[in-house]
Amino acid sequence: MASSQHVLLSPAELSYLHSSLSLTPPLRPDGRSPTQYRPLSAETGILPGTNGSARICFADGTEAIVGVKAEVEKTKRRWDDDTIFSENNHHQQQQQQQQQQQEGEEENEGRNNNDEEGGSSDWVELTVEIPGYRDDDSGTVFLGQMLSEALLADGGFVKRLRINRRFHWKLFLDILLISPPLSYPLPLLSLTTHLALLATRLPKLKSEGDEDPFFDDDWAAAPYLYARDPATKRVAERPPVTLLVMAVGGNIIFDPSKEELAVADVVLAVSVGDDAQGKGEDRMDVDGSNPGRNLKLLSIRTVDPPSRLTPPGVANAANSAYGHAQVVNTGANQKMPEARQTESEAVEGVWKPPRGGAKAVVMGALVQKVLVRGGVADEVLDALEGVDTS
Amino acid sequence: MPITILPPKFSHPPPPPQDISDSDSDLSSDDGGAHLDFASLGLPNRKPNPANNPLFTNLVTPGTLITPDPQWMRGHGTYIPPHTTHITSSLAGIITRTNKLISVSPLRARYTPEVGDLVVGRIVEVQAKRWRVDVGSVQLASLPLSAINLPGGILRKRTETDELQIRTFFAEGDLVVAEVQQLFQDGGAVLHTRSLKYGKLRNGLFAAVSGVGGGSGVVRSRRQVWTMEGQNGGGKMDVILGVNGYVWISKHVEQVAKELEQKHMGITNMEENVSAGVYSSQNDPIDSDTMREITRLRGVVTALVENGCRVDEDMVIRGYAEACEMAMLSETGPEDIYLGGQRGEELTRALRGN
Amino acid sequence: MPLDTSTYNLALLRVDGRRWNELRRIHAQIRTQAAADGSSYLEMGHTKVMCVVTGPSEPGPRRGVAGAGGGGGGGGAGGQSKEAEVVVNIVIAGFSSVDRKRRGRGDKRTLEMQSTLSNTLAATLHTHLFPHSQINISLHVLSQDGSLLAALINAATLACVDAGIPMTDYVTACTAGSTSTYAANDEGADPLLDLNHQEEQELPGLTVATLGDSDKVVALVCESRVQISRLEGMLAVGVDGCKQVREILDQVIKAQGQKMILEGTVDKGTGLNDMDLD
Repeated sequence: MASSQHVLLSPAELSYLHSSLSLTPPLRPDGRSPTQYRPLSAETGILPGTNGSARICFADGTEAIVGVKAEVEKTKRRWDDDTIFSENNHHQQQQQQQQQQQEGEEENEGRNNNDEEGGSSDWVELTVEIPGYRDDDSGTVFLGQMLSEALLADGGFVKRLRINRRFHWKLFLDILLISPPLSYPLPLLSLTTHLALLATRLPKLKSEGDEDPFFDDDWAAAPYLYARDPATKRVAERPPVTLLVMAVGGNIIFDPSKEELAVADVVLAVSVGDDAQGKGEDRMDVDGSNPGRNLKLLSIRTVDPPSRLTPPGVANAANSAYGHAQVVNTGANQKMPEARQTESEAVEGVWKPPRGGAKAVVMGALVQKVLVRGGVADEVLDALEGVDTS
Repeated sequence: MPITILPPKFSHPPPPPQDISDSDSDLSSDDGGAHLDFASLGLPNRKPNPANNPLFTNLVTPGTLITPDPQWMRGHGTYIPPHTTHITSSLAGIITRTNKLISVSPLRARYTPEVGDLVVGRIVEVQAKRWRVDVGSVQLASLPLSAINLPGGILRKRTETDELQIRTFFAEGDLVVAEVQQLFQDGGAVLHTRSLKYGKLRNGLFAAVSGVGGGSGVVRSRRQVWTMEGQNGGGKMDVILGVNGYVWISKHVEQVAKELEQKHMGITNMEENVSAGVYSSQNDPIDSDTMREITRLRGVVTALVENGCRVDEDMVIRGYAEACEMAMLSETGPEDIYLGGQRGEELTRALRGN
Repeated sequence: MPLDTSTYNLALLRVDGRRWNELRRIHAQIRTQAAADGSSYLEMGHTKVMCVVTGPSEPGPRRGVAGAGGGGGGGGAGGQSKEAEVVVNIVIAGFSSVDRKRRGRGDKRTLEMQSTLSNTLAATLHTHLFPHSQINISLHVLSQDGSLLAALINAATLACVDAGIPMTDYVTACTAGSTSTYAANDEGADPLLDLNHQEEQELPGLTVATLGDSDKVVALVCESRVQISRLEGMLAVGVDGCKQVREILDQVIKAQGQKMILEGTVDKGTGLNDMDLD
């Protein structure tokens, strides 16, 4: 899929980076451990005019702001769904059964209207703005897609937007990258979106049932979109988060910088969420030996690493500008087409871009590493929970 | 700890407290209600009247009149409005006077090349007879084919063949260390690599920090290039602090040093001794200890810059020693090379304390 | 949407409690962004703007993406021109106004503001010092409550100063309005300083930008009908407001410089009266 942006690095640098990242343990250029994120500063509630907002700055200077706005919208209903009274439920169920028999668009319709608790994915509108890039640029669109599919993957998120059977909230997520895109911005945007959603509050509903909704004016009374446990003040269920992981040599590296991406063999964007099921027994031992939360895999995307587009290094043996004697047979060397050099055997210390696809084993290992209980995803979620979202 | 979240450095101010006493004072003053909240600028213990602090007398902002006296000459960062003799500042910066020349050096700006500067640059474009090099300045510098040592071991003429295979010397993306040879009228720099010290860079790591132009970053100093011993089993390392703020840290290769000695035999021999490796893009084998120390040293340089320190030989060497000590004290021992975030702050605090 | 600003005549106080010549609270910061050449954050009341300056730098062959957003080209054709090109790009966040409204890149109002800004800055920055190069100014509007163009100009000025781009003087901007509508044709209408969104909707107003302490107007935008007799008063109040804004911005820059001197990041310099050499 859409390639992350190209960086200009010399073959010698690429070769050095690749070999230092392939060591065990890998040596990252900024000294982080393989699972370590860049240090960041975060704050929420920066924009009083929104339902929820957040801002995150990485130490390297990349910065993003996310604002969430909600509007009440009338739920679109099907032609035969024009009554709202319970006697119609029977009719609906029949309808559903018929559809299930027919298969066809059963799943879609079931989610949209018939299911009492359901929602539709177009209740969420997500836009990404990256300075210097058009909003219809493929990279920008791809980023937006990855972020929104994580949110919409299990249909659980849109359920929260339901007001009653006739109305729902329409949520607008505007994601702004303030700085120029110095590194692939996906982790930053995902973390910021996560925080903004955690801080999002919707006005308290005062109307009842299916009447036209009206709301409490008191913002202090507005409930969070992600409800807090009144006792522990902790968020019961959390928005998804998308992690960027890459594999190089035999190592798996989280939150790669752009230099690291430039030598990656495989790059994956993995979205994970809290699994609501099975939470009961987990929460019992919250303070003690909690081995971590139940994570749910929401989506996986491969990101085309820029490493495949890098030019290969030239070995000394094939380098006409190398050494004293070589100049004599310059003519011969000059005729050597570059293509032949790229296909030549790997030489120690010479950069050779990765070729071919990713091995299934590597992909499996990457996903496994993300989903491991008490692993990186867990700690990222924990750390984000520590940010004051009140 | 895979993730550290720090409180925001630049906090957005809380909504202005609708203080009753405050609005009272507004009513009594008649000069418009705008006022500046100094507390929120993060300025510690502001002096009662900063204008009188002798430290700040040379701080100017754009449009400040420096002197109306025509005896002075205007330098960088100043201008003279038409029909006047008033030397006026065009930058936020510090007045510097050299005899009769008045200039303003900015608090922060891009690198401005000067003849003789040692710079590290990245080739971004290859043209027919020259390379265009990014040196972090306002313009790309140019490196003409005629300003490099051609391989071959004999002093020879540049041929058409050389022009045709210009990419075998330097290609897009390659890093070079070079010297500013000449400046164009419009500020563009011309580089040369006609010395054994210069050429293509390999066996190491690159770091871009801000360069000369005020503020933190690399400063012009006596030595921009040196070799230092790696601790914890690492070998010797070469450090190149480009005046433009591009830094290269690499494994020290003996061969180059030998040839540097030979250089003293005579300047005419120089061309003959062009290092075989000048145009190589193949790394020498590097052991993992040296790699680790190279990474640590790079961490020191970025930590210095992130925390607003100058980068020169003395600071880097002291910072490296300090970082090694910090690593020894930490749980994982010398393996601990992380110097980001709070650890970087610790490091610079220790350096400033000395 | 009929608003009620007519109570002004009773207490001589505006809807937000200010008097006619009062600015809203201005809060500004520079160097908010470690990676950029220059950056700033500015609040005028509830209008909040962020600015990031990249450059001046030579647009390389690969970096062709920058101008694609359709920024107003002000200072020349760029590329091989003798002056730096000032490219302004404004992103108005969807959540910035009360009702969410998404403006595409091609939005006419945004384009107009881009070109106004680009022309204003190109006239003041010393672009002739940077031939063949480009100054990219990227502005993000986070919250809107009137005087948007003025806030954008002020934020861009701050970020350019932070980036160390030479300029003749600060360009500061401010809005001015009048206490009654055009239709009311009220001879005794007072001028107003620094309009908020509500006032901007209902009352005639203009945005004026001046150069430094002088009365030189570098940009003047008036998009509403107003009697010519009122214009002079409005302009005078606006220009006066610009001077106040300049003072505030100057303090912000000076505070940063003083902080850097105290931290030892920059030398204190040698002034004209220092007798250390000669």
